[in-house]
Amino acid sequence: MLKNYLKVAWRTLTKNKTFSLLNIFGLSIAFGAAILLSMTAFFELSYDSFHKHVDTVYQIYYTEQTPKGAVASTSHPEPLAMAIKEEVPGIQNIARHLEDDALILREDIELNLDGVWVDKSFFSIFSFPVLKGDKTPIQEKSSVAITQDAAKRVFGEEEALGKTLNILVNGQEKSFKVSSILENIPENSSVEFDIAIGFQNHGSYNEIKGEWDNRNHNVYVQLDKNVLPESFENNTVAFSKQHFAEEIENAIRDGAVKDKNGNYKQLKLLPFKNTSFASFGKGVAKVDKTLTYLIFGVALLILIIACVNFTNMSIAGSTRRLKEFGMRKTLGAPKKQLFLQLWTESLIVFIVSVGLGLLLSILFLDSFKTIFNTNISFEDFSSPQIIMGFMVMLLVITFISGGYPALLMTRIGTIQALKGKLNMEKKPHLRNALITIQFGISILLISGTLVLWKQLDYMRSKNLGYNKEHVISFPLNGKKNSYEAVQLLRNELQGNPNILNVSASDNNLGRGKDGSAYRSVLGFDYKGRGIKTNMLVVDYDYIETLDLKLLKGRGFDRKFAADSLSLVINETMVKSLNEENPLSINIMMEDSVNYKVIGVLKDYHFEKLNKSIAPITLFMNKEWDMYYAYVKVAPKNISASFDLVKNAYARVEPNAPFLGSFLNENVDRTFRRERALTTMITSGSCIAIVLSCIGLFAMSLLVVTQRTKEIGIRKVIGANILSITYLLAKDFLKLVVIGFLIASPLAWWLSKSWLEDYAYRTSISIWMLLVPGVIAFFIALLTISAKTLNAALQNPTKSLRTD
Amino acid sequence: MLLQLNNIFKWVNSGGQRIFLLKDINLNVNEGEFISIMGPSGSGKSTLLNVIGMLDGFDEGEYHFLEESVHSLKEKHRANLYKEYIGFVFQSYHLLDELTVKENLEMPLLYKKFKGSERKAMVADMLDRFNIVGKKDLFPAQLSGGQQQLVGIARALISNPKLILADEPTGNLNSAQGEEIMELFKKLNEEDGVTIIQVTHSEKNAAYGSRIINLLDGRKV
Ligand SMILES: Nc1ncnc2c1ncn2[C@@H]1O[C@H](COP(=O)(O)OP(=O)(O)O)[C@@H](O)[C@H]1O
Ligand SMILES: [Mg+2]
Repeated sequence: MLKNYLKVAWRTLTKNKTFSLLNIFGLSIAFGAAILLSMTAFFELSYDSFHKHVDTVYQIYYTEQTPKGAVASTSHPEPLAMAIKEEVPGIQNIARHLEDDALILREDIELNLDGVWVDKSFFSIFSFPVLKGDKTPIQEKSSVAITQDAAKRVFGEEEALGKTLNILVNGQEKSFKVSSILENIPENSSVEFDIAIGFQNHGSYNEIKGEWDNRNHNVYVQLDKNVLPESFENNTVAFSKQHFAEEIENAIRDGAVKDKNGNYKQLKLLPFKNTSFASFGKGVAKVDKTLTYLIFGVALLILIIACVNFTNMSIAGSTRRLKEFGMRKTLGAPKKQLFLQLWTESLIVFIVSVGLGLLLSILFLDSFKTIFNTNISFEDFSSPQIIMGFMVMLLVITFISGGYPALLMTRIGTIQALKGKLNMEKKPHLRNALITIQFGISILLISGTLVLWKQLDYMRSKNLGYNKEHVISFPLNGKKNSYEAVQLLRNELQGNPNILNVSASDNNLGRGKDGSAYRSVLGFDYKGRGIKTNMLVVDYDYIETLDLKLLKGRGFDRKFAADSLSLVINETMVKSLNEENPLSINIMMEDSVNYKVIGVLKDYHFEKLNKSIAPITLFMNKEWDMYYAYVKVAPKNISASFDLVKNAYARVEPNAPFLGSFLNENVDRTFRRERALTTMITSGSCIAIVLSCIGLFAMSLLVVTQRTKEIGIRKVIGANILSITYLLAKDFLKLVVIGFLIASPLAWWLSKSWLEDYAYRTSISIWMLLVPGVIAFFIALLTISAKTLNAALQNPTKSLRTD
Repeated sequence: MLLQLNNIFKWVNSGGQRIFLLKDINLNVNEGEFISIMGPSGSGKSTLLNVIGMLDGFDEGEYHFLEESVHSLKEKHRANLYKEYIGFVFQSYHLLDELTVKENLEMPLLYKKFKGSERKAMVADMLDRFNIVGKKDLFPAQLSGGQQQLVGIARALISNPKLILADEPTGNLNSAQGEEIMELFKKLNEEDGVTIIQVTHSEKNAAYGSRIINLLDGRKV
């Protein structure tokens, strides 16, 4: 019987080539896209799941009440971890975790590695697989664990295990022994590093040791199995009150409002498996998987559209096979077998399409990965469960989209079937609803595309208040002291007419090639109020190099000897200090040092545009290190100047890689997420509209064949081509219009809520909602006209003869 | 007695009015009979044939087929009944376009769950009997109308039905082809004892039968 099903199915499919090909084409594209998209989403969701204890591991953060509301802090003081382990019950393991580059020196190699400075319990909490050596890494203070790849970079082909290497700590080389080689960190790990070093070895350790008011690292905790995170949080109230007494007092004095439990500083636990989705907005960690589900959503929408096509085509196509089914019934075919017969046909189409879709996704995997900046690979998805899940889903999809038409067919009475006609008075409501949904989805996606493009364009072209076109920034990642390096750089570049200015600071603008993003915030008391400001350490000429606009006073100047105690602040900071005359401001910091404001900068966007401009204060103090150099070049010969800077830096720091880029590239890099989203929605909407049109085309093809006789009669009576085309097209176009009416308010609402995340955002104009409708309408019109015009043009005697 | 219709009524409701398709039909058919149904277009011939073939239901009356009371049977049992005892022949042949001659003949056997070897033998036998061995791998579209109807009859006969119902079997054929089909029916009736009920418009074809039933507006006259 099965053989017979397959045979008949195959012949039916090859007989209706147009429909089979349209179906397979559409479904393959849809499956290809859906496979890639859901792989991406699954990959995101699989983040950190490889850790054995992931369900009991949490990141500790504090919610602190300030006069301006609650803020969250993931940075903690050195004594916290050990104190909490002793004083609060329920902790299995706790580890401090400080991320900082480690400059590795070995023979003539000088290499910056991604370092983590952690307690040894870090490797009990997390399960980073050990390849060779100690299974529990860094038991001793002077041992390090290094990943396989990093080992190769440091030791080449030599065996790294047991060797020693030197790390630059506070300007001095310290020697360490490699005691474990780790497997490379999995792609789906939110904690990444090349080398793990004992926490106490970090350069800041002596400074922060025992200090409760100096914070610089994360703390991860693994709770005992039966401990609830909420009750643990509650148990820490007394602990926090005791150890942060002074801080809490200050907060109360400044007018902070306590939280609903009456606390000013509350310890919170963020489940570790959520860290890759978390942001710390208003004092609490917000876990947001929207983007991931959006990816799933787009995949699902595309699949729905393709399956709708399939269902519509099968329903419509099966009416042409009514006679066959009537006949089979008179020959004694049970309903079950008729159902299986039709379903087999669907199954074949789906299996072929899935095969092709898989092929497509393999072909496009590489470009997909670069466009969407993800690291998916098929190996991650070859586990039996995932393959089984995939199969089950496939079966369900075919069961619905192929089974429904089959069910319809078997329900029709034998005599009626034999006559070959369905009740034509009944309108195909389901078909119409499905087409409406398809076009609604397409219009929604096109609207989304336009809004995203406009916001992206707005952000990229917005004047940020500094010169981003002609300034190169790069990390000062060499062995030399940063001030010395910058001075050498100045000397190297001096006298060159295309190099206009050289300066440096301790932070980058935008996101550089090194991928780092820091934020350092400083708090102090001013006239009895606590003030917080972003802090930036700069070198001379910083304001000139970046073309920042000075509103009042002056910048740092070599002519003034005491400028290490001078401050330059921005307008927002002036407002925050609430002073009429900013140049008269004196600020006491670190208890006894008196700083004086010498200049006021016009506000500029030193952070991403989803944040409103915060207060910032510029310092110039040679005791604090700088990490990034800035070079302003002349507008002409930009790329030649870039090479010039690169070569100059190579002479200053021969062993350090040059990771320079223009600031507008840096700014662009901060939009990676938006860009990925835009590309995704754009391609999604293209696929959606193409698939919808394939469906519409097939439908118009069928309607035209069904109505050939009617068209002939109308022409004989005297209808013209236009009126016939209109007659045939209007039923479909009506559906597009309804789809538009449903989709555009939804599109408006969704875009609006998305844009609300951006402090600086473009407006949604009415054309962004209208244009998608117009586009969909005309594409649909073109699609339908292709067939209807043809039918309208035909000689009526020909169409009448077919009866 | 093969079948018996007692006071069969069939109607449809249209615009609040009851329109009778069959009115008070009484009919006894014995095994081995060859009956021709005649009447003008729209008089209910096809409807009657479909009722006899159990493809269509009726609203009033009794229908006995062999020992079974068809009017009180569930649809599934009815289907089993006609599957077993009745073969259908249609004016427009109703062969399955995507199956070859051989596969068309095999189809009813598949639905009756015959074994592969049995099916092969029965199909070969039928091809032989109708002299269409050479055509077994052709598709219906490659055959003439007469040949298609021949295949249609062969298919109706393959599972050895007691009764053949033929609705204008020669309606689409020229006179020579029509005559050939009629001769075949006669032979089947006389030599194999198959009961045949045919609908026809032609007096000449009706004369092949042993009894003629005339219908007018759903009523026997
Ligand atoms: N399901 C039905 N609904 C309404 N009218 C029907 C139905 N089936 C048949 N008829 C009508 O009943 C009459 C008899 O039809 P039919 O038995 O096909 O006639 P014949 O085969 O003698 O030409 C015709 O007028 C036909 O239009
Ligand atoms: Mg008829």
